[in-house]
Amino acid sequence: MSQPIVLGIETSCDETAIGIVQGRTLLANVIASSVEEHARFGGVVPEIASRAHLEAMMPSIENALIDSKLSLSDIDAVAVTAGPGLVGALLVGVASASGLALGLGKPLYGVNHLAAHVSVDFLTHDQPLDPTIALLVSGGHSSLLQVDDITQTITKLGATMDDAAGEAFDKIARVMQLGFPGGPAIDSLAKSGNATAINFPRGLTTSQDWETRPFDFSFSGLKTAVARYLESTPGYAKADVAASFQESVVDVLMLKAIAACKESGINSLVIAGGVAANSRLRAVATERCERAGIRLRIPSPALCTDNGAMVAALGSLMVAAGRSPSPTAFDADSGLPVTTVAL
Amino acid sequence: MSTSLVIDTSTNRTVVGVVTDGKLIWSGHRDGATAHGPSLPLLAEEAITEHNIDQVIVGMGPGPFTGLRVGIAFAHTFARARNIEVIGICSLDAIAAQINEKDFIIATDARRKEWYWARYTDGIRVGEPEVSFPTYVEKIATTVHFGLFPDLIAMTDLAKQRPITEPMYLRRPDAVATADRP
Repeated sequence: MSQPIVLGIETSCDETAIGIVQGRTLLANVIASSVEEHARFGGVVPEIASRAHLEAMMPSIENALIDSKLSLSDIDAVAVTAGPGLVGALLVGVASASGLALGLGKPLYGVNHLAAHVSVDFLTHDQPLDPTIALLVSGGHSSLLQVDDITQTITKLGATMDDAAGEAFDKIARVMQLGFPGGPAIDSLAKSGNATAINFPRGLTTSQDWETRPFDFSFSGLKTAVARYLESTPGYAKADVAASFQESVVDVLMLKAIAACKESGINSLVIAGGVAANSRLRAVATERCERAGIRLRIPSPALCTDNGAMVAALGSLMVAAGRSPSPTAFDADSGLPVTTVAL
Repeated sequence: MSTSLVIDTSTNRTVVGVVTDGKLIWSGHRDGATAHGPSLPLLAEEAITEHNIDQVIVGMGPGPFTGLRVGIAFAHTFARARNIEVIGICSLDAIAAQINEKDFIIATDARRKEWYWARYTDGIRVGEPEVSFPTYVEKIATTVHFGLFPDLIAMTDLAKQRPITEPMYLRRPDAVATADRP
C-alpha cells in the first residue's frame, strides 16, 4: 500500500506556505512571502500579513498541486498550523484547511508550529527523529525542547525571557540600517568581520544562571550593549559589530543546547527555525556537536524558515503514528504551548 | 436545479444556509465576534450532510477583518475541493434586501466606535460602502437599520446580479512606516 499523501498549510507569520508530503518524500513546497510589504515598517504588520495570506492561498494551493503533479482528490489528509503565531494570520490558514478537509471529506490535523519546525528534519534524514533535544530559533521563538515523541510528547526545557534570537538579529539590523529581515544581512556582513573584535555579553550564562535557568535565553541585554557600543563608537567597523554580535548569539545558543543534551543524556540535537539557516550557527553547531559526540541534524536552509512542508511532515508523522485527527472545529491559538503537539 | 451553500462572517454572527432554487432548506447560526473560526466548520459540516452542494456564495464584507477572512478563505477552499464555483457578494446588500423602504441606510458594527454602512434607494445601493462614525451616518440618513444580519436567499440573488471578487476591507492596515515615525 502506498503511503498517505498529506497537504500542509502554514500561515503563522508572513509566509503563506503549502507543502505536500507522501510518507517522508517531499512532493511540493510552495512559499509566497509578504516580507517585502513589511520591510518599510521594520517588522511584520499582522493585518498586512493576514490580507496577503488570503490573497495568496488559492494560487499557492494550485502551485503546490502543479509541482506535485497531483489533484486534490489524491490528498489523504490535511494538516495546518493551529499556533503559535499571529492570530489573524493563523485563522486564514485554519479556515482554509477546514474548508479543504470538509470539502474533500478527509481528516484534518491542527498542529503546533514549533513541533512542525522540528519534524521537518525527518524529510531529510532517515534515522528516527526522536528522542532528541531540539533548539528552535526563529524570529518569533527561541526554545530548547526535549522531544521524546514528536507526535505527542514534547517538553519545554527553556525559552527566551525577552526577544527571540531572530528578533535580536532584526533589531540590531535595524539600528545598523541593514534592512529587514536582519538575519541574512548580518550573516553575510559578519563574514568579513572579526567575531572576537568586541566582547559582547552572553545572556544568562553566569554561574547563578546555570543554577536557576540553565536552558533559558535572554537577548535584550546584548541588544542594549550593541546599541550602546554603536552610540559611543563613531566610525565603528560594521562588519566587526555584526560578527561579534552574531558570535554572542550563536555561542549562547550552542552552550545551552549542548548542556541540554548532556543533562538529558540524549545525544541528538535538531536545530530548526529560521535562525538555523544562519551560516555561523551551522558551523559552530557542527564543530561543537562533533566534539561532544552529539548527532547533529539541521534541515536544509529552505526547510528551516517557515514552510508548508514542515506542517505536512508533522501531519504525515501523525497519520503514520495513528493519532486521531483534530475535531471539526478548533480555534487558532496564538499562544499554543509547544507541549500541545496537535489539537 | 442548483443548491448553494451560503456563508457570511461579516458580522458578529456566523451565518450558514443551504438554498435550493430560491428556497432556504437549511440554516444555522452561531454568535460570537471572535468565534467565526470554530463556528463556521461546525455549521458547514451540518449544512452539507444531507445536501449536494454545487455552488458556494460568500459575503465579502465589509466587516471586521479577521472574522470576514474566515468565511472567504473557507468558501474558496471548500469550493475548490468540490470543484464547484464560488461567488462573493456585498454583505450589506444582503442585509438591505430584507428592508422594504424607499430610502434607508444599512449599518453594521465596524468596531472602534465606527460603522460600516451603505445607502439604498428602492432597494438598490447608492455608491460604495463606507466606514464612518455613527454621528455622521445619522446626519445624512432618513432611516438607519443597524445590527441586522444578511438574508440568505437574497445572497443567491445577489450572486447572479452583483458578484464581487475582492474582500471589502474599507480600512487600511494600521501601520506607520519606520521612516514616518516621530
